[in-house]
Amino acid sequence: MIEIKNVTKSYELNVQESVVALKDIDLRLNEGEVVVIKGASGSGKSTLLSLIAAMSKPTLGEVVVDSQRVSKLSDRFASLYRRENIGFIFQKYNLISTLSVFDNIMTPLIPLNLETKEIQKRLKSVMELFEIEHKRDVIVKNLSGGEQQRVAIARSYVNSPKIILADEPTANLDEKLSLNFIEIIKKLKGEKRTIIIATHDPLFFGEDFVDREIEMRNGEVIS
Amino acid sequence: MILSSEILTLYILNGLFLFFASIALYLSIKIVLHWDPNATTKLQYRLENYSYLSATIVKFIFAIKVPLFIFFIFTLDKLSNIISGAMCGAGVVDATTYGSYILLLKVLNLYLFAYWIVLNKQDSQFKLQPYVKQKFMLFIALYILLVSEIVLESLMFGAIDLESVVDCCGVIYSSSSGTYIASVLALDTTLLLSLFYGVFLLIALAYYYRVKYLFSILNLLFIIISLVTLIAFFGTYIYELPTHKCPFCFLQKEYNYVGYGLYISLFIGTFNGLVLAFIEFTEKESEKFYKLSLLFNLLYTLSVTYYPVMFYIKNGVWL
Repeated sequence: MIEIKNVTKSYELNVQESVVALKDIDLRLNEGEVVVIKGASGSGKSTLLSLIAAMSKPTLGEVVVDSQRVSKLSDRFASLYRRENIGFIFQKYNLISTLSVFDNIMTPLIPLNLETKEIQKRLKSVMELFEIEHKRDVIVKNLSGGEQQRVAIARSYVNSPKIILADEPTANLDEKLSLNFIEIIKKLKGEKRTIIIATHDPLFFGEDFVDREIEMRNGEVIS
Repeated sequence: MILSSEILTLYILNGLFLFFASIALYLSIKIVLHWDPNATTKLQYRLENYSYLSATIVKFIFAIKVPLFIFFIFTLDKLSNIISGAMCGAGVVDATTYGSYILLLKVLNLYLFAYWIVLNKQDSQFKLQPYVKQKFMLFIALYILLVSEIVLESLMFGAIDLESVVDCCGVIYSSSSGTYIASVLALDTTLLLSLFYGVFLLIALAYYYRVKYLFSILNLLFIIISLVTLIAFFGTYIYELPTHKCPFCFLQKEYNYVGYGLYISLFIGTFNGLVLAFIEFTEKESEKFYKLSLLFNLLYTLSVTYYPVMFYIKNGVWL
């Protein structure tokens, strides 16, 4: 379970000015849920995801994931937490453009010191799942947007994370590719993973596979 | 007052240390006063950020201080060329009343900063960071020592009078100089060597039985007895002169800078031994410190032993 307890996050612009990205957010997200966080740009969706992923810390309040106070973790433990629990799909994919598909998907496995055989096995199954195996040796900058996104999803999935966070995953895709992405999410939902998607794409709204929709505006949850 | 390029470098770096350490001091005081690991308040999150920043500053200072200490010794040695009477760094140290104190303080600070780094690393191994208050309290004390060091260093360079003639190492460390160190160096060589090798053997025994407090105390003794025997006995074989007792000359090119290697191995060996008494390590971590300590102390012992043995093999006599 993900508990967001009275979280406020503000960014200091200078000594006197600050921008409040999240205001006193209180949320409980259950294990295995697919949650869509919707809202306009600047509503605080991405900030909320970064707090759940322990990529940043709140200004006030705390985030607890499976009884672990992730917002209180030091950098070292936050990295371990992410490695073991989080798969993150970024809006701009954040792939290493000069590496191949295979190498990009492999990056989360590097710190695990797995045997080569095990790495090959995991990567093969993940590339098959996301239908990207035929491009395994292609440098990612030569891939189309949809293919790059499948690589990004495969990379977020290769560690078998309990939580998958997607930040505006369809922002750079056309409708057909966006629908493909939704099919992938449906596939992942069957595996009882918690999936949190921050988006303002109407394709996600009112869909059966979504368990909850949370609407945000100006850093606050409004519904 | 001398303003060589080396001294200017030291002044500039000391200024940087002072600037960054003062920021770390301000943050450390806030951390010591308000740290509460369980709090989820704005202040606590801010203190956590301060803690990272301060730790980064201390690591930066230590990373520069280690080579800078060597550079300081090098500077003293270089200054001896322009100070009448001085043959090496010993003459420069003795040229002012601050010299010996600054040297001792620098060595002490090196050990304490290194201890801080180990404590900080150990702290980061735990989710609740149990040593936060302790390490920042230590830093506050370290700041005072660091400022004292910088002030003393400035006073020392400021007080050097190029018109005066100073004593060379041969005079400073000779038994006739009447100083405390000279009387220690005049002790019976057999006694000193028995103590040196005896303490080393006891360190090896304490390692074998993993008696950490004894191991640490013996390492402290080893620093002292090593320095005394290095000047009183082993150094004379490095110089191949029975009357030449100096802890600086073997840092010079003529002796292949061998002194730097000796001092560095002694520092690493004894530091790793000392730290065991002050921090609770896991068995695996303790083992690493034990082994590093023993390895570098052994390296030091073998290195200094090499000189008299080689001298005897070559010449068939002792000095």
